[in-house]
Amino acid sequence: MITDESRPEVDRAVRRRERPLTQEEVLRRNSVERLKQEKHPYDVLNDIPRFMEIPYEEIPEEDILRLQWYGLYHDKPKVGNFMMRVKIPNGILTPAQLRTIGRISAEHGENSGELTTRQCVQIHFIRIQSLPAIFASLAGVGLTTAGGCGDNLRNVSGCPVAGIGAEELFDVRPTVAEIARFFYGNREYGNLPRKHKYTISACPYHCNAPEIHDIALVGTRQDGRDGFAFWVGGGLSSVPRIGKNLGVFVPQAEALEVARGLTDIWRNDLRYRMSRAKARFKFMVDDDGPESIREQLQAHLGRTLEDLHENPQPIGRTDHMGVHPQRRGDGATEGQGADLYHLGVPVFPGLMSGEQMLRVADALEEATGGRGEFRITREQNFILTNVPKAKVESLREAIEEIGFPLEVNRVRGTSIGCTGDPHCNFAVGPTKPKLLDIVTHLERRFGEDVSDLRIYLDGCPHACGQHWVGDLGFQGTTRNSDTGKITSYDIIVRGKLGPGAEIGRPLLRRVPSEQVNGYVERLVGAWIDDRQGGEGLPEFLRRLPDEQILAVATGERHD
Amino acid sequence: MIDRDHELLDDLEVGELAVEYDAREPEDVLEWALDRFGESRFAIITSFQADGMVMIDMAHRINPRTRVVTIDTGRMPQEQYDIIDEVRKRYGIQVEVLFPEASAVESMTTRHGVNLFLQSVEKRLLCCHVRKVLPLNRALKGLDCWATGLRRDQWATRANIKKIELDHDHGGIVKVSPLADWTEQEVWDYIKEYDVPIHPLYQLGYKSLGCMPCTRPVPEGMEGRLGRWWWETNAPKECGMHCSIETGGFEHEVEAILGRQNGHALTR
Repeated sequence: MITDESRPEVDRAVRRRERPLTQEEVLRRNSVERLKQEKHPYDVLNDIPRFMEIPYEEIPEEDILRLQWYGLYHDKPKVGNFMMRVKIPNGILTPAQLRTIGRISAEHGENSGELTTRQCVQIHFIRIQSLPAIFASLAGVGLTTAGGCGDNLRNVSGCPVAGIGAEELFDVRPTVAEIARFFYGNREYGNLPRKHKYTISACPYHCNAPEIHDIALVGTRQDGRDGFAFWVGGGLSSVPRIGKNLGVFVPQAEALEVARGLTDIWRNDLRYRMSRAKARFKFMVDDDGPESIREQLQAHLGRTLEDLHENPQPIGRTDHMGVHPQRRGDGATEGQGADLYHLGVPVFPGLMSGEQMLRVADALEEATGGRGEFRITREQNFILTNVPKAKVESLREAIEEIGFPLEVNRVRGTSIGCTGDPHCNFAVGPTKPKLLDIVTHLERRFGEDVSDLRIYLDGCPHACGQHWVGDLGFQGTTRNSDTGKITSYDIIVRGKLGPGAEIGRPLLRRVPSEQVNGYVERLVGAWIDDRQGGEGLPEFLRRLPDEQILAVATGERHD
Repeated sequence: MIDRDHELLDDLEVGELAVEYDAREPEDVLEWALDRFGESRFAIITSFQADGMVMIDMAHRINPRTRVVTIDTGRMPQEQYDIIDEVRKRYGIQVEVLFPEASAVESMTTRHGVNLFLQSVEKRLLCCHVRKVLPLNRALKGLDCWATGLRRDQWATRANIKKIELDHDHGGIVKVSPLADWTEQEVWDYIKEYDVPIHPLYQLGYKSLGCMPCTRPVPEGMEGRLGRWWWETNAPKECGMHCSIETGGFEHEVEAILGRQNGHALTR
């Protein structure tokens, strides 16, 4: 043993190794930057015919990673099956598009299907050999997977009743379409420092979670003009951030120019190329602050942007589920004359088979004479649009027949479970099955009292299921016991979206899976008994000291 | 029950630390871990590849009582034992050598044969699980933080590794990867500069180190994949080359392929 006297001096000079902010250093430090330089990831498309002919294990891992640019990730286990993410701007599909996706699932994806929190559809079990046929059929109906994963602008999300919602401030669909057209598959923007997420809506409820996006275009009116406030630097994963107000008002016609400008100042800044752990736009907003971001943006655009007079606040929250009359007199419904409705249908827990997609497409087409749309919501449900009043009831029955009843506890619609186990390589425990278990238990125990709760559950810290901002959040983890690893969950409290949005805190750590329902029941029970003036669960838990939450949850004390 | 045996960091705290330390030097990360968790609840777990050796050397300069843990699977080449001895001598430390549970190995080899790993991917995974992963889990049970030699450029999908993170595969303890943003060249430069001992098999052309029957040298210019489990087809991809118990990925593959229950049952 070395004694204290002979302990070597720490050589602190060694600790200051040079790390210049140069492109050369970026390529040295960051292997993904290197592989994007060596071959543009979009060019991996040309290699697919060759990959179809060779054993899976001979495909270089760098090319497997490049396949992310076409919306493909390894399924678990990594033996040649992929998850494919189809990008759907604003989550809006025609029946023909839905049918195409359903058919792909049935023919190439073992009938699997998931509606995602960013309004995409994911299919599992995809083999490389199926890709040419799949890409051709998607292109045939104007859909793409390009930029679905990887360092791209991901799907542009929004409010699922854009253009038809009775309360929407104005129709943002032209803006979504313009931005999606510009970015999807755009090679120049196929080398961002990291993934990048926009959301765009004029939903007065902010149902699309603008708080947690890199760039959110938040619809508002200023001096009688339609336009957007910009919220920047939001995001989740293990460094969650609520977006900050940039302080500008951007008329609708200038939305693409300004959004693109923000993306440009970030992608051109080498600071965010050095390490993928600090590459997202939120870190630039952290480092520089929204005022400086605005100055950099204005310098980049060569003009001054208009000040925002009033930061738009959500008027409440909604899931858009159920039957609602559509707004009349705009592009969506003009000339149709009849009363049209949209039907919000809970899909619990976000799973929809290829066969169900085909059947829903048929039912929707029949009820609407082909004019209806299938729209995916952030909380993994769907909304059917342009349904004539006379057809609402029969369509509702048809949909129920396919496996999606409308008359269920609303908590089924407002709950989210990430892809997770068994498909995802990151998750450490079951996700959708666990969500099902928790929500079913809550329904049985509390009935309608829990109908407005948002239960958001994830299998890992990446937070695809947005656990940081659920009324109750859950994240899979493990704990050790004498008999081996036990699946456990961290329970996150005090977080929420909408008015008073905040990132929650993982106050209850590593709760063994079989004890989770007990914890949840005690927390929710205490809220139902002691809530004041209609306060929500997050507000109730914000009022309680940490120790009291622990005591209530563990059952050590009932107040 | 909530575990209150010892303090744990949560994802929010660790997320911020990962950002704070992302551009810091490996020694800073090691020093933080040693300060934060103390000598007894922190260990370097390594099989003495170049990366692991650099970490041992760095940690020794910060605190010579830093624990070093390795796993002797029972099928190691003699050179593995030689490097263990050399590390003991050079740094004056007791390398903690963990061995698989005898009864688990006995029932596995009795049932499937001693060379079961040659028979199928499933049985090879089982062998790795019993000989390597279960002892690792045992080591981690007594720790609040462990250090790995993971580097971002070892494998395309490792590019997002953080220097400090929670290890949700292993009880939510902290995992540090101080060399995350180092290149292979920097590792070897450090070894040269500080005259760090290196594993003798590198000189014989090995690119990855592991059990004797499952590793072999790779001729210059050939794919590293040929150095491990070269007889297998349809093995999980990362496992086929850079099999790393440190990422947790191996355990996910085992659970997916053998089944969570099955995986345990096969070990009994």
